Order: sequence, then C-alpha cells, then structure tokens
Amino acid sequence: MKCQRYIEEKLRESFTLWGYEEVRSPTIEYLETLSTDLGSELAQSMFKFQDFDGRMLALRPEMTTPVARMVATRMFSTPEPIRLFYISNVFRYSRSYIERGREFWQAGVELVGCGGDQADGEVISLLASSLKELGLSELRLDLGHAGLFREVQKSTHLDPENSQIFRTLVGRRDQAKLEKFMSSNDFPSTLEKLILELSEIRNLEEAASALNRLSGLQKAKRFAKSLSSVADVLSDYHLEGEVYFDFSLTGRIEYYTGVVFEASVPGFGFSIGGGGRYDDLLLKLSGIRTPAVGFAIEMEKCLQALQSQGSDLSPIPDDFVRVLVSSISNERAVETANLLRDSGVVVMVDVAYRTRKKLIEYAKLAGMNCLLIVESSRKRPLTIYDVQSGTKKHLTVRSFLQEIFRGRTQ
Amino acid sequence: MRRKIRIAVPSKGRLKQPTVDILRRSRVEILERERVYDSETSDSRFRVSFMRAFDVPLYVQYGAADVGFTGHDIVVERDADVLELLDFGFGLCGLVVAVPKDSHIRTIEDIADVPRVATEYPNTSRRFFASKGKQVEILTVRGATELAPMLGLAEIIVDVSTTGETLAKNNLRQVAVILESSCRFVCNKIAYRAFEREIRELINKLKGRERVSS
Repeated sequence: MKCQRYIEEKLRESFTLWGYEEVRSPTIEYLETLSTDLGSELAQSMFKFQDFDGRMLALRPEMTTPVARMVATRMFSTPEPIRLFYISNVFRYSRSYIERGREFWQAGVELVGCGGDQADGEVISLLASSLKELGLSELRLDLGHAGLFREVQKSTHLDPENSQIFRTLVGRRDQAKLEKFMSSNDFPSTLEKLILELSEIRNLEEAASALNRLSGLQKAKRFAKSLSSVADVLSDYHLEGEVYFDFSLTGRIEYYTGVVFEASVPGFGFSIGGGGRYDDLLLKLSGIRTPAVGFAIEMEKCLQALQSQGSDLSPIPDDFVRVLVSSISNERAVETANLLRDSGVVVMVDVAYRTRKKLIEYAKLAGMNCLLIVESSRKRPLTIYDVQSGTKKHLTVRSFLQEIFRGRTQ
Repeated sequence: MRRKIRIAVPSKGRLKQPTVDILRRSRVEILERERVYDSETSDSRFRVSFMRAFDVPLYVQYGAADVGFTGHDIVVERDADVLELLDFGFGLCGLVVAVPKDSHIRTIEDIADVPRVATEYPNTSRRFFASKGKQVEILTVRGATELAPMLGLAEIIVDVSTTGETLAKNNLRQVAVILESSCRFVCNKIAYRAFEREIRELINKLKGRERVSS
C-alpha cells in the first residue's frame, strides 16, 4: 500500500505542477455512455448490470469517456483548454484476463478543448516527465497516428474482414506474411512498398518524407506532417532521443483520431502507459466539437516496472515520531495521546491491554519509536521505553516533546 | 552493457529438434547446458532457456523471455498478446475435430445434443464450437486425448494431427479442421522495441534456413 501511495502522490504532484486539476467521476455509468466509440474488445470486457428501471449500467473500464462526459455535461462554462487529471480504479473482465485481476488503478490526464501539436507535445511530455519523476529510467515513447493508419488502410480498398486481417498482420510484424497478403490482394506496388517501409521506420520525420515521395494520400501526408511537428515540440522538452515512430501503433480504442503513444522501459514486458488524441468523442457525447488529448498510466504496471529496474521502493522515510501509549486509565491515555498528536507526533493508544513485555515487542514490530506508560495520577511522570535500545526513563509530557523535537533539529 | 536477449526453446516434443537445428544453422549454437533449463550460445548476445512449448507464449508475453519458438496453435490457445515475427516451414499440423469411425457425426452440422469434447485445447475448442452455434461440454485432458472416446469419456476430441496416422490407429475420423498451425518465432512487444536491430538480424538469419529442415 505504501508503494502504491508513493506512486499516487508522486503522480499527483507532477500533474498538479503542470496545472492539471483533479477530478473524480462515478464508478457506475450508463453502459451507452461508456461504450461510445470504445471498440468491441474493451466494450466486451465491461461489467454490466441493470438499474432499477431496466436501463443498462456498467463499471467504468477506463477513465477518458467518464471525464469527457463530465466535461460535456457539467463544464461547458469552464474556459478552454481545460486541464484535468484523475487517479481512479477501473474494472475489466475478459476471458483472456482469466489469470489477471479485475480491478486496476489508472492515473491520467486529459487536455480538453485544444487541438494542435503543442497540446499533443505537452501531454506526451507530461507522461514522460511524470514517469521519470517516479524513478523509471531508460524510458521510451513510441508514437503512431490513428488517422494516418486509417487513411493507409482505406487506400487498400479491402473489405471490412480483410481490413481487420491487414491490421492484425501489421500489428504482429510478420513481414513475410504481410508481403504475401498484400500481393494476393493486389495491392499496388507503390502502396505495398510504402507499408513495408512505414513498418520499419522508427524516426518521425522519416515517416513524413516516405509519404511525401508518393502522389495522393493527401490526408495521410497531413497526419504524418503533424507527427513530425509533434516531434519538434517534444525536442523542446528534450525528449528527442526517446521518441520513436511505430506505424502499427493505432490504439485498441476506437475513439482515437490523431497521435497515439505508448511508454515503455526495456526490462519490462508490458507498456506502462499510453494515450492519444480523440477529437470526435466529445462531439458524440455533447454535440459540440471539442478536440482533446490525454493519457493513462497503469499504476500496477508502473510499480512492477520500478521493481524490475531494482528501484528501492521501501517506505519513504518520514520524520514522524511514532509512539504507543498505554495506561490503566483509558482517560489518561487518550488525554496524553491528544496532547502529543497536537504537537505532530503519531500516536497509537493501546487497546489490547497487554503485558509490558508484549507491548514493547509489539511496538518494535509495528515500527514505533517508543512505548509510553501513562500513570493514572497526573502528578507522576511518563515512563518511556526506547523500543530500539530497550532503555527506559521518566519524563513529563512537556520534556518528552522537547526531547524529540531537539532530536529532530539536530 | 546491454543485457542478453533470452530465447525460449521447447525442451521436448516435435518442435524441439528443428528449433535447435535452425538456431545452429543460424550461428546461434546452444553450448553445453550450464543448468537444466538454461544455456549460453555461441553468439554472446543471446541466451536460451528450455521450457515446454506450451509455456513459451506465456513467458514471452510477460517478458520473462524476449523471443521464443512455439506453435501457432499454442499462441491461439493461450490467447497470448505476442508478436509473431516469422512462420517457419516446420512443425506443420492441424488442430482438428475427430470422432470414432462409427459415429453418426459426419460434419460439425450433425452435432445435435450436447456431446462431450475431450481436448488439451479448451479455449480454442470452446470458441470454435460457439462460432458454429454448437453447444458442447468441454473436458480438458493432458495428453492421450485419443483415449477419451475409446473409454466413453467423450464422443468428440479436438487434437493436433500431422498425418492423420494416430487418429486412424485409434479408430478416429477427422470431421473438421479448426486451424492450421506451424512453428512460429514469437516476440515480446516491448523487447522488440528494445532489441529491434538484434532481433531483425536474427530473423534474417533464420529466414534463409527455414526450408532445409522441413
């Protein structure tokens, strides 16, 4: 839990420093809302159930749509661009998730009401920066473009079934199979060459120039150009060495329309987070065209990636003094505890009425600094056992406090 | 110094020897085993680990191994989210539906009641029968699937078949092919990014050698 909190707090700090404001959305929403442009894979993975009037509800499988729904229904007077972030649990069920969990934690941001490469660049840079702040090293960002892929796919004139096969083949990176598929479906040789070339290109500017060598595909060219402008923005953030092009990266979620991206580190087998631009989702939810871009970090994956890099995630040392207070008079124990808490000391009151020996043992195991025995008479001083050294001394509450705070300033 | 790329190699079964051979011909010779499951290779950039072919997709999906050799049927059964970078010519087989020779079932269409299906491939079988609109009871067995109809455990089996010989010997008849499989070179999605140059180089070496062994 402490490790999760550490990640949560660090991410909250990063997002806040970039001017994003935290939002919270309901766990349960109408199925219809959550399904907007989600794509069948994620839509099938939702936990669904009925409301009392028979309307279908579901647990949110991701946070972008709930946040977009909030913006669409409640924030129309907020000046744009709106910068929002969330740290939430999401729920997914799927047969292929059989051995995995059903509840996941995601931390993410949405930049709403702004198109353009600078907005894309900001969001991608924030993803990189917040992951680095957590202590992840050798971070890598892979960028694709949902629109660019769709345009190239459209130009193949495949029927929907073959289009799906084409997308799977590009995603699997089986070059030989892809070549065979393209020639058996009579792809023009220039298109075939372009697709193979784009599959191998890792540099964003090169992707744009590969497209420019061809005639036609005007929209795809525009998208590629915008990708290379995003690359320019990212180099303003000094990320040029960490950014790569990936033609096959289109995002599994249907609502993406522009740049899509994924963050990973070499020693860990899953991507840690990702996102993209979704310019049509708010139009569908609110009727008003509102461009937006965002990302989500998978917090469990993040923790595992940190552990795989050998990051020391032992509880962050705080400078709290922790004491266990015990007394035969509960009234006196509570009174002393409250006095100490007012001065910023972490206090637990013994509720188990154990022997002194057992109390010291427990205090040690629970990571307390000392055990305080309070006499029932106010006149008598406290007995203080130092849990580590086992020594004991008698002090008043005031001199005990002086002692700890002196110790802290040293 | 970058870490070594870990290759998962089947430790037994029909994919083992062809895999070891093709690696050797691609100048990644497996050196004397240090431990039972682990070995260096003649190419210092690669290490191999031996495991059941059935476990290869799992190790690769989770990044415990970077790349590996396994059957396409197993990738499908495991529903593994891995890259399939290369299809070798060897390890060809079909995942087939078979029934006893005297069964009234000639095609999948003939399935009427809710028969029991014995298989080592429960996920693929379940999906297949569901897609055909047939209700069946899936029984998962570990090996010797052909035995199930003989002892009356199941009326139908789903199993891999290369020549059909084993089916015939056990008085079974093939009624449908669920999928055609062969040995694949699979790769973890993130490892492909981190080691693209080395992995592509290995693929190019493997490519020229795939026909010899088939």
